[in-house]
Amino acid sequence: MHEMSLMGGVFEVIEQTISQHNVEKVLQVKLKVGELTNAEPDALQMAFEAYSKDTICEGAELIIERVSVQARCRNCHQEFNVKSMFFLCPNCQNTSIEIIQGEELLLESLEVE
Amino acid sequence: MLESNRREIEVMANLLSSNDTQAEINRAFFRKSQCLAINIIGSPGAGKTTLLEKTLPLLTKSLQVGVIEGDIFTSKDADRIATHDIPVIQINTGGGCHLDSKMVSKVLPEFDWNAMDLMIIENVGNLVCPADFDLGEAFKVIVLSIVEGDDKPSKYPVIFRNAKAVVLNKMDLEALTDVNMEIMKQDILAINPHIRIFEVSCRNGNGLSQWISWLNQEVLNFKDQNL
Repeated sequence: MHEMSLMGGVFEVIEQTISQHNVEKVLQVKLKVGELTNAEPDALQMAFEAYSKDTICEGAELIIERVSVQARCRNCHQEFNVKSMFFLCPNCQNTSIEIIQGEELLLESLEVE
Repeated sequence: MLESNRREIEVMANLLSSNDTQAEINRAFFRKSQCLAINIIGSPGAGKTTLLEKTLPLLTKSLQVGVIEGDIFTSKDADRIATHDIPVIQINTGGGCHLDSKMVSKVLPEFDWNAMDLMIIENVGNLVCPADFDLGEAFKVIVLSIVEGDDKPSKYPVIFRNAKAVVLNKMDLEALTDVNMEIMKQDILAINPHIRIFEVSCRNGNGLSQWISWLNQEVLNFKDQNL
């Protein structure tokens, strides 16, 4: 359940952000979660509810966008989707690849009033 | 009607940024101390502490080694390490399922860094959560016991993708199980083609010498790169 620690990070960022804006209520929180992380959406939701209780985020909607794993081959520069976690260039079978998407754990945006 | 003040604020902030910032500070500290720090990750019972117990007496002939033991509540693992006359500090996470970079930074002043060559950080027994938390180590090592099953690498790809080596422990039990070692190794290499695989038995000592000489070499390489 390291989603609790991750959610601690979410709320650190939320507090920082709302201190710079005039916010009465947070209505929606959007996260971007790469598939190459171990953050589990249901556990994040549960952690969000626990953290938001009695704050201006209570009752806000948590939206989690899952980001698929994309890689670029270091040999032929082909970009491809990594499926079933097999990290191999489908074009030239090279195994030296760079992950360009799918490792993110981001707070994308807040909807507030 | 009142005008709604509903609006969107774009943030784009990394949820791990406070952990990652401290991890970079730890990493710089290890580099300055010319000490290789490694993060040992594996499920409960994979044999992480036993691997250390078998490794330390042979390593310390040539190296100064320290150990940070992560554990949820007890100091059982640290007590086992301390019997080998190795400086060891226990971190109790108090229910937390992983170590983070701040917990590690807090215990660093408790070691004597003058001649430290290798700091081994044994994470909390867990193959999932520790994978997302950088401690400032040079690299991660997985301990996986073969009796956990040959499907484990493909079920926990994140950690296998992010580790430099995997120690497959309890090889002495291979004949007693249905584990398919070819599939296990094939899956590990499909996830991470550059990972080093060591097949060992901490119980009878087989395969340990390859792991130990590799680790010794990694310490020397780290010192060369950070002179």
